[in-house]
Amino acid sequence: MKFSIPIGPQHPALKEPISLRMTVEGEVIRDADIRLGYNHRGLEKLAEEKTWIQNIYLTERICGICSHSHATCYVQGVEKLMDIVPPKRGLYLRFLVAELERVHSHLLWLGVAGHEAGFDTFFMYTWRDREIVMDMLEAISGNRVHYAINTLGGVRRDLDEGLRQKILSQLDILRRRTEFYIKIGANEPTFVGRLAGVGKLSKEKAMELCAVGPMARASDIARDVRRDDPYGIYAETPFEVSTADTCDVLGRVVVRVKELFQCYNLIEFMLKNLPSGEVKVKAPRRAKPGEVVSRYEAPRGENMHYIVSGGADKPERLKVRAPTLANYPATVEMLKNGFIADIPLIFAAIDPCICCAERTVETVDLRTGEEKVLRFSELRTLAQERFDKNPRKGTGLWPF
Amino acid sequence: MLNRLVRWSRIKSPWILHLNSGACNACDIEVVAALTPRFDVERLGVLLKATPRHADVLISTGPVTRQMKDRIIRIYDQTPDPKFVIAVGACAMSGCVYRGAYNVMGGLDQVIPVNVYVPGCPARPDAILDGVVKLLGKL
Amino acid sequence: MNDLDTIERIKGALGSRIVEITNPAPGRIFMTVAVEDLVSVMTNLKRDLGFWYLVTISGVDKGDAFEILYHFGYEGGNLNVRTQIPKPTGIDEVLKEKTVPHLPSICAVIPGAVLYERELQDMFGIVVDNIPDPRRLVLPDDWPEQNFPLRKDWKFERPPEVIPGGKK
Repeated sequence: MKFSIPIGPQHPALKEPISLRMTVEGEVIRDADIRLGYNHRGLEKLAEEKTWIQNIYLTERICGICSHSHATCYVQGVEKLMDIVPPKRGLYLRFLVAELERVHSHLLWLGVAGHEAGFDTFFMYTWRDREIVMDMLEAISGNRVHYAINTLGGVRRDLDEGLRQKILSQLDILRRRTEFYIKIGANEPTFVGRLAGVGKLSKEKAMELCAVGPMARASDIARDVRRDDPYGIYAETPFEVSTADTCDVLGRVVVRVKELFQCYNLIEFMLKNLPSGEVKVKAPRRAKPGEVVSRYEAPRGENMHYIVSGGADKPERLKVRAPTLANYPATVEMLKNGFIADIPLIFAAIDPCICCAERTVETVDLRTGEEKVLRFSELRTLAQERFDKNPRKGTGLWPF
Repeated sequence: MLNRLVRWSRIKSPWILHLNSGACNACDIEVVAALTPRFDVERLGVLLKATPRHADVLISTGPVTRQMKDRIIRIYDQTPDPKFVIAVGACAMSGCVYRGAYNVMGGLDQVIPVNVYVPGCPARPDAILDGVVKLLGKL
Repeated sequence: MNDLDTIERIKGALGSRIVEITNPAPGRIFMTVAVEDLVSVMTNLKRDLGFWYLVTISGVDKGDAFEILYHFGYEGGNLNVRTQIPKPTGIDEVLKEKTVPHLPSICAVIPGAVLYERELQDMFGIVVDNIPDPRRLVLPDDWPEQNFPLRKDWKFERPPEVIPGGKK
């Protein structure tokens, strides 16, 4: 007997309106469907009416968590069209902010994963440490989010010596705290058992559905734009791709924690080897006609911008492909044959940045045909109750 | 007498509902960051609720997209009286960078009546708290 | 392997179906094919040459034709396959309605392409044949038909705004 469950656009879980409709048989999900469009703001049409510099601020506001990644991807592409090369110090500062943004995004996600699994203390700890990173970003750029530090030809502000030493010292605190989280996370058998075996996505399915980011890397596909197609300074910095092979939510947590350590190493390298010199070069007003494809590794996966220029001071076409949209068919695949109790966790595991795509979950009772709109938090409490009633003893070990 | 008691309890502990209508998430993360140990809004009695039927104050972010317009009006109607609406962020005030796009209504006050506007892109958590306190002062 | 080797491999596998192939920057290869060969080219690319990762599908309105690009990512760079379909004007004699541009679907080869093709349908009005799921993707439910936002000749008129309690 199949039911269909919708979960509505408004939920306190990850603050974004999304619409999922799942067909359910007992406790097991048979099919899932996502309705996008609540967050569609018509950006690509708007970008054709603004100049190259105004578009930097527009692309920043595509997403609030990965705002620097969209802005950097765009600026990289336009710099190639205009044939200008930013100076080394500017590049180092740009990617320093990019790695700090990756740290803050992964800490945010760890907190959300803890919250969805019921471990609220973990949520509060990681968000408290995230504030350290936000303070550093505010000192560098002036704002906690949407640091408009990119400009065509480099960065807008410079870093002085005192700030550089301060960031190095804060990095030690962050390293110690992350090691503490691994200790409590790995030694907490209920937490590990809750995450193991949930949301399985095999390697073949991930390749067929073109999954990106930590989702693909947790299924043992070593794909990372920083290594495949090095842009900026990643060709000369020490960097390894982190993968895991458990193909479930626990693997995704492991991949993100490993990436956090990579980020700390990269930030330390960049701060210790910061070259001196100018931070920007002057950019022309018009761009030469042509087209460019710009790729960037955002915290959630690969970000791609395709820009066409007709020789004017406005772009002819700007196409943005955000990573969460690519992970959506893989999410549908993961939800099949899962349990209702796992929906919030699977959904949080793809790290939904739904400003790129919005959904709500609606439940439609197939037996009676009535429609009930469940808030995501109601779904979460429902999930936790059902899990407490019949707990599954997962045999997951922290594979470090 | 009962009215004074109810009004006192409403001022001392407003329950909020967080609504996202097509935003970029920056303001939403700042609203959630207001609950974390650094800014800690729960010591003032503010609780983040899950359903509009329990809420006193609606906090809304983001420029309203056409798809969300009817849902917002429905949620506003579901909230029991007296209710207050806070528009957080430049997008909810007038549309921020998205003014003129084809799918955006251009601010929250085109859809539901708003009591307090909190500017910023994104609005800092302290500014959001300030907005809530100013609202309570008007009651 | 570098770009020249990749280009040689592609030329060897696809032969005469390539109209043009260029390498404007390190790691970027742009290739043009005709619409009729599209599905067979995709099958060869995935099965024989190992390009399984489709990044996205973009559409550009060039005035008198639509240009559709399929972006593939691989270790070492980016392969972009370009094809053009004419933008029809006038009335179809058989169906007695305005002609619509058609594009074959590649979802049989690459299942992950379905969302990008749905977006093309919404934004440009291109009808994708044999698509497994033809519903709307991003536009709202009450969007009027036959309005395709990303076409160059579509302009948006903003309705006048009412400021509550203030001047107009």
